[in-house]
Amino acid sequence: MLHIKCPHCGMRSQNEFAYGGDASVKRPELNKEISDLEWDNFVYLRKSLRGKHLELWQHISGCRQWFKVQRDTATHEIFKTLKANEDI
Amino acid sequence: MTFKSALENIHQKGFFGDYENKNKQNLIKISEIKNLLILQIVQYKSSNISLRDINIDGLHLNNEVLKVNCNNETRILWFGPNNWLLISIKKDLLKTINQILRESDFAVTDLSHSRAIIEIEGKNSIEVLKKGCPFNFNKLLKGNSVNSVFNGITVSIDMINDSPNKIRIFTLRSFGESLHHSLTDACLEFGYKNI
Repeated sequence: MLHIKCPHCGMRSQNEFAYGGDASVKRPELNKEISDLEWDNFVYLRKSLRGKHLELWQHISGCRQWFKVQRDTATHEIFKTLKANEDI
Repeated sequence: MTFKSALENIHQKGFFGDYENKNKQNLIKISEIKNLLILQIVQYKSSNISLRDINIDGLHLNNEVLKVNCNNETRILWFGPNNWLLISIKKDLLKTINQILRESDFAVTDLSHSRAIIEIEGKNSIEVLKKGCPFNFNKLLKGNSVNSVFNGITVSIDMINDSPNKIRIFTLRSFGESLHHSLTDACLEFGYKNI
């Protein structure tokens, strides 16, 4: 089981969290013309990295906040957690 | 609106579990707490109001993790950044709060009818919680509260007293009976008294 440090609450068990996917995916700018392929890529296309990965998690049974986690997908080591509006 | 107990079909008074040949004073006591005012208070991101200027029943909203601000009638639990749960026996406090907290700065939601509250009391009550909850209870002191899970049920745990232990557990009303089952199952080995 992972222990994840919520930036708001502190160290908690993985049971309290929900995985939210890749945090590096950026939504296309508002009102910008984009092709169907670009939109399709944004919605569906995800890398399946082995190694360091920036992810979104939600502390769903705690403070209910979304935040970012930098984690190694092979070893599950967590390097850093950040508030949703912070960047590495 | 009249209050209807969330656990009336399940909470039966009496002694249960391994209570024989034990000092009845040392058994875990389980009770349902009802008829409280429960409010969720959320400060909007756009709000510039200083929390120090806000005074609810003599209490301040505080953004300190795990912290409960309380007096004899009202408790304000930290639920998240700019998010609190207010519990009070004063039903008329809602009117006052609606006057103190402006609609443009705060969202106030009455959750009085949507929570089941179970109170457990006794020296083994922490051991009961440890069975189903991954939180490190060594960190939970008197006047602290925590949101976590108990056997997969999302709960809020409010440590009212630590000598002897007196803990209130809040969950969604629809999970109340499941939580009651889980807690009473965990209490069986210690013996418990439903009051």
